[in-house]
Amino acid sequence: MTIPLIPLHVFVFLPVIIGAVTYFLPTRWYHAVMLLGNLAVSVLAVNIFIHVRWTADIIQFVAFWPETVAIKLAADSLSAPMVMLTACFFSCTYLFSTRAAYMDKTFIFIFLMLEGALFGVFLSGDLFNIYVIMELGMIAVAILIMYKQDKQSVYDAMLYIMMNFIAMAFMMLGIAYIYRITGVLDLAVLEQRISELSNPRSVIIPYAMIMTAVSLKAALLPLFGWLPRAHGAPSAPAIVSAVLSGIQVKVGVYLLIRLNTVFSPAIDASMFFLILGFLTSVAGFLLAIAQKDIKLILAYHTVSQVGLIVMGLHMGTEVAFWGGMYHIINHALFKGLLFLSAGIIIEEYGTRSYSEIRGVLRRMPIIGIATLAGVLGITGAPFFNGSISKYFITAGVQGNLAEIGLYLINFGTILSFVKYSTILFGTPTLKKSPKMDPYVSGISLLFGAAILVGGIFGSQAVSLMYGSQYSAQGALGFQKILTFFLTLAIGVGMYYMVVQKIGGVLAGVRIFKFSFNQVTVFITLFFVSLLGFAYFTV
Amino acid sequence: MASVAEFITGLTVSDLAVALFFTGLYGAMTQRNIIKTIMSVGIMDVAAITFFMTANFQEGSRSPISGTAVEQMADPVPQALMITAIVIGVSVVAMCLAMYMRVVYRYGTADWKILIRRLED
Repeated sequence: MTIPLIPLHVFVFLPVIIGAVTYFLPTRWYHAVMLLGNLAVSVLAVNIFIHVRWTADIIQFVAFWPETVAIKLAADSLSAPMVMLTACFFSCTYLFSTRAAYMDKTFIFIFLMLEGALFGVFLSGDLFNIYVIMELGMIAVAILIMYKQDKQSVYDAMLYIMMNFIAMAFMMLGIAYIYRITGVLDLAVLEQRISELSNPRSVIIPYAMIMTAVSLKAALLPLFGWLPRAHGAPSAPAIVSAVLSGIQVKVGVYLLIRLNTVFSPAIDASMFFLILGFLTSVAGFLLAIAQKDIKLILAYHTVSQVGLIVMGLHMGTEVAFWGGMYHIINHALFKGLLFLSAGIIIEEYGTRSYSEIRGVLRRMPIIGIATLAGVLGITGAPFFNGSISKYFITAGVQGNLAEIGLYLINFGTILSFVKYSTILFGTPTLKKSPKMDPYVSGISLLFGAAILVGGIFGSQAVSLMYGSQYSAQGALGFQKILTFFLTLAIGVGMYYMVVQKIGGVLAGVRIFKFSFNQVTVFITLFFVSLLGFAYFTV
Repeated sequence: MASVAEFITGLTVSDLAVALFFTGLYGAMTQRNIIKTIMSVGIMDVAAITFFMTANFQEGSRSPISGTAVEQMADPVPQALMITAIVIGVSVVAMCLAMYMRVVYRYGTADWKILIRRLED
């Protein structure tokens, strides 16, 4: 049975249309129709992926205008897996929280609008279109963060939207520059025109401007100030945190790949992003170790993992590149799971401090097991999916400085998750075992199972997703398993010997927060340093 | 003095737009008042729009509406795109101002630094 392909612009609008139509349905049918709609979107996304993977790329021009004039929508081997991931992830998170108190119709409508915006960014092949859809996504995210309007969520959302607005102003100026130089906005034609330029130096200013905006979206080193505030916002609903960390931050990473390809005939800044990825990763786990709030531990940890992904993508070898791409999917799975389960745990215990939560495994066995699977995945334990993507990224470099850096990052990951997993053990403060919503436990276990399957069939998963064959035999080698358990032992030892003894230092790191002005200075510094790098290398 | 006069008369609208953009950025970096930073960000947005509008402008070209000869028409793409950008800019600034009202009512300050200190308590 084959499902006909729908036009891509209809696909982008589909979640928004579903949200708008179901808004007027009586509450009795609402969830059934919404579930059906989400399922339909997922099926169509899988269908697009299958078509792209085994038949051909889909390229469509909106309203039948010729190329370079029309807005282009394209699904290729890079964007189709992301679209499929987004659709399935949104369906799962929707199912996860159908019974939650905050899920009213307006919330779901904005949630689906964000889904449409994400599809738009992934499928768009036109620079200005990407800009517009990113602004739409930004507004939707800001509303979702402050939806409950309690505690400091309005402040978090305001900081988020203003920082992003500055970055987007940079991006628009960059787009204007590039339009002035080349006269097109279509990404494929743009790449060709840039390769024909007589002086490649003329594009370094627009390059630096656009990349500053994209790096802020991807939360690279000095620009990640918004991420913990947005993802770990104390009052933001769990599914918003999960979607932001699982999918939305990957938009930045995806655009980093896309736009670096467009500018590749003129500028090669992979060294810059490699170093920046490493620094981001180190800063991320250091800050994660210092946090007390379990949501903030996870949020800072997202920064660290994004750094790792960016490192893999710019390592310069193909294995590492696909390892980084696979890590995008893996990170969406385990960080999505961790944020969702953290939401349930916080609701159950009524606190967010890691030292007050004990015995999750005994009190909520299913959530506990799912969390454990997420932790094992993220630390790269053998047989779990994190080990495969980290193995591929490491396979790109053997015996040089970057390999030591990767070991350091993995050690930091383990150290911060030793801290996180203390909530799983011990005796629970309350004995009563709560009644679990079947959807919550079902989706948690589904994510956990996906993490395990993605690890056992790692090499097959990569070839299924991206069509590139690499053997992951080494990831289960004796040496790798030994290394993992040795690192784990050192991590546990170091946590109890060192980290618990330096509470004063950690408290000092924890209150390290930047005001809006300082963040703007960081954006400017980033722009200037990227400009300088491009100037001296081109 | 002659060179200064030449420099000033040689400036185009797009040069001024870039200058305006970085003026806005300076404001966002230095102003501690929230309203002033929102204004600065708005200025940056408007400057980028102005810069885009003047892209590919040629002396003597007319607005691209019916009745103008095709060879005289200005490039219609920036104008079509910037309508969208203006609308986006207005809505984002409006949203920032709405959030600003909330924050001011709750914390009683319009200063970024004092605001951070009050959040800690």
